[in-house]
Amino acid sequence: MLKFILRRTLLMIPQLILLSLVIFMLAKAMPGDAITGAFMGNPDATPEQIEKIREKFGLNDPWYVQYGRWLGKAVQGDFGMSYTHQQPVTTLIAGRVENTVLLSLFTAIMIYLIAIPLGIIAGRWTDSWADKLIVTYNYVAFATPTFVFALLMLFVFAFVLGWFPYTGSVDIKIESGTWAYMVSRAEHLVLPVMSGAIIGTVGTIQYLRNDIIDQKTKEYIKTARAKGVPEGRVYSRHILRNSLLPIAAFLGYEITGLIGGSVFIETIFSYQGLGQLFIQSINLRDFTVVTALVLISGTAVVVGTMLSDIILSLVDPRIRIE
Amino acid sequence: MAKKQFMLLASLLLVLSVFLAACTGKDKDGATEKEPSKDPEKTEGTENEEDPEEVDDPNAGLEFPLTVSNTGTPIDGGELNYALVSDTPFEGTLSRVLYSGTPDSTVLSFFDENLFTTDGDFLITNDGAATYEVSDDKKSITIKIGDNVNWHDGEPVKASDLLYSYQLLGHPDYTGTRYTFMIENVEGMPAYHNGETTEISGIKISDDDKTITITYTEATPSLLSGIWAYPTPRHHVGDVMTGELTIEELAASDKIRTNPIGFGPYKIAKIVPGESVLYERNDDYWRGKPQLDSIVLKVVSSASILEALKKGDVDIASVPVDQYLNAKEVDNIELLAEVDIAYTYIGFKLGKWDADNKTNVTDPNAKMGNKLVRQAMWYAMDNETIGKELYHGLRFPATTLIVPVFSTFHDSSIETPSYDPEKAKALLDEAGYVDVDGDGFRENDKGEQFVLNFASMSGGETAEPIAQFYMQNWADVGIKVQLLEGRLHEFNSFYDRVEADDPDIDIYQGAWSVGSDPNPSGLYGKDAAFNYTRFTSDKNTELLDAISGEQSLDSEYRAGKFSEWQQLMVDEVPVAPTVFRYYLMGVNKRVTNYSIETGTDLRLWKWGVTE
Repeated sequence: MLKFILRRTLLMIPQLILLSLVIFMLAKAMPGDAITGAFMGNPDATPEQIEKIREKFGLNDPWYVQYGRWLGKAVQGDFGMSYTHQQPVTTLIAGRVENTVLLSLFTAIMIYLIAIPLGIIAGRWTDSWADKLIVTYNYVAFATPTFVFALLMLFVFAFVLGWFPYTGSVDIKIESGTWAYMVSRAEHLVLPVMSGAIIGTVGTIQYLRNDIIDQKTKEYIKTARAKGVPEGRVYSRHILRNSLLPIAAFLGYEITGLIGGSVFIETIFSYQGLGQLFIQSINLRDFTVVTALVLISGTAVVVGTMLSDIILSLVDPRIRIE
Repeated sequence: MAKKQFMLLASLLLVLSVFLAACTGKDKDGATEKEPSKDPEKTEGTENEEDPEEVDDPNAGLEFPLTVSNTGTPIDGGELNYALVSDTPFEGTLSRVLYSGTPDSTVLSFFDENLFTTDGDFLITNDGAATYEVSDDKKSITIKIGDNVNWHDGEPVKASDLLYSYQLLGHPDYTGTRYTFMIENVEGMPAYHNGETTEISGIKISDDDKTITITYTEATPSLLSGIWAYPTPRHHVGDVMTGELTIEELAASDKIRTNPIGFGPYKIAKIVPGESVLYERNDDYWRGKPQLDSIVLKVVSSASILEALKKGDVDIASVPVDQYLNAKEVDNIELLAEVDIAYTYIGFKLGKWDADNKTNVTDPNAKMGNKLVRQAMWYAMDNETIGKELYHGLRFPATTLIVPVFSTFHDSSIETPSYDPEKAKALLDEAGYVDVDGDGFRENDKGEQFVLNFASMSGGETAEPIAQFYMQNWADVGIKVQLLEGRLHEFNSFYDRVEADDPDIDIYQGAWSVGSDPNPSGLYGKDAAFNYTRFTSDKNTELLDAISGEQSLDSEYRAGKFSEWQQLMVDEVPVAPTVFRYYLMGVNKRVTNYSIETGTDLRLWKWGVTE
């Protein structure tokens, strides 16, 4: 197992370098750079000054020179400066990462809390009214765009009912570190999390339901029933054990997807996270931030895949990692 | 069977209700694009109300108040909620020298001030925290900072603090956008900027550190509108000049990002980076005790701003123009509007940028070289309809290239083309551009195909209809115009290509936000890189030189030259201005002493609430 993790980790390095190379090339192929838009609001700036700044940031060099320079610094943990934010990229991302991780984590937990019981109910009592209701919910959730649903949540729970705040991640007047502060943060998380979770359950419910239905007809279940195992036990000990396998395996990927953040939810709730930063940086051609973020999500993908493999080997005795 | 049907019905209902609810949510949250088609009559009525009576004089169309109608006595203290309407967090570089985004400048405006206040023409006055005197040769200005002007930590604002801003702006390592002509023009600045010396010879400080004299290489009338007068608290942020820290470190420092100080009426009590700021009253403010106890500024997305205003959760917020119709229905707010210092225009490519000599070269044989054709295209554009139909009157036909807000310099007596297709056709006939092959479109004066490539930016739902509308307008008078590569172009790629004089672009639609200095040299001068049309002429250079020159220190002379220049631009049409725009502020009715008028006396420290 240790050998496996080590091997995968070592394999990660060339993967990430390749990824960064591709990203760098693509980023530089985009028209414009961080300086293009910056001076639009300030036409009095002298052309010499603009040229000087480009020169200083090395934006006039060919991309491979820029890439070499970037890579040299990146291995030392220096991802450069964000032109737009006038801040080291690492500081900038570190400031947003907490929000994104909290949002992602709670969204993932909520998704499983909602999806697993519903999936089990729908699978166990197929064609019952509960199943039909769940399947309908699933289709509606599948068809609802995130931004429409998030706006709806915002409107109903923040404005009509006024239960939850509509912007930000914490109430500014509350002293940080106190209990009230934690409560305020939690309150600010409810709407973004629920907006993501309620319509994010589709895959999990569907997988679970189908798998349970599938397992029900298997020979070993018939055997178990013939031996007189109580129905509840058939489900909890025999069927679920097998049906939860793919869900567990997905966990790693799920985490990967969540690190990226959700642009829609972040924008609508003015909840600052990485997703929004990514889009904003692309629009403003803030390359240093873009490459760093892609690298982070690249790392997350590789790690997530590895995690999925490990989880799978732990829960499924048929799979052994050498 | 019956059970099945019920299930079907139930699921249908569920689906429907979600859609209906979604629609409501959307409308309420301001996606108003469908509003006009829903209730055409009502919209029509609205438009008529807003229709500027005389489109030739934009000021005549002004019917929004600039000041809140609540004249009640404000309660002692109180708290005001200000929304920074933005779909992205504010960056948090809270330094006048270093910030880059508009959201940051809003955050700054509550705690940091200019040493000078400005009047209705954006010219500095002697009523501010500092007073000034210009020397007889108009080449130097002596600024005296008031004795009662103190930073939020109690330290007096010193002349060397203002010097520090100049030292930062001109620093060889400075990468911001504010090393402008007015900074470069300071005597000795180029040498300092190139790292040849560490002293700026043109700036002298008195012994008591309260008076500063800045001497310029050339006298310029832009002095009174373009002088930099934001000091930087050297003692607080640290000194780059002594090598204590680098500019990069300064920009990333907590002293600027989470704990900045200024000398404005409110001081920062707390910042949640990117999303909110709590300001407290600065009792030591030089004008006196500010009215409010505290101000809370928070970032609110454009999707929720109207609901937040309606709920009373936000007292002051800028209202996105596309939510105007919905905003009018909100009872507890008042809408203020003012003409923005910006204009949209159609540019005609007339030459090339000569990078070696850093100058614009106009090509007399350019495809758009015939000024009658350019005039005709201006006459052919129906800007009034654009403003009414797509912006509910919040944009209106532009006239000259000096925005009307500059009341002394904008010449409203100049006759500018307004929508007149017949006149456009006559001009084209006169130019010899007639339809030879009978395809409904005109050929050029040599009888060759005349098809124009139009570059326009994507962004917002009105971008495409506007471009299509203009193309239809031009087709109506017989000019065939097609979108560059058949589509709109993303912001960066658009400006990259316009800037590089891409030969595929014949005309383009752009916009300028012009800032407080009306001097157009930076946008239309012979040596201006931003002069994207590459139009130059002796007359143009002469007038712009006169506007920037010493003689223009006489305001009347300058206004005359401004008029001449505006007239020249109308005659030559290197660009055809299309629309001016209003910006909208939604203000809760409990707010008093609030105004958006330029040069108003109702400044931030007087803002109050009556309940």
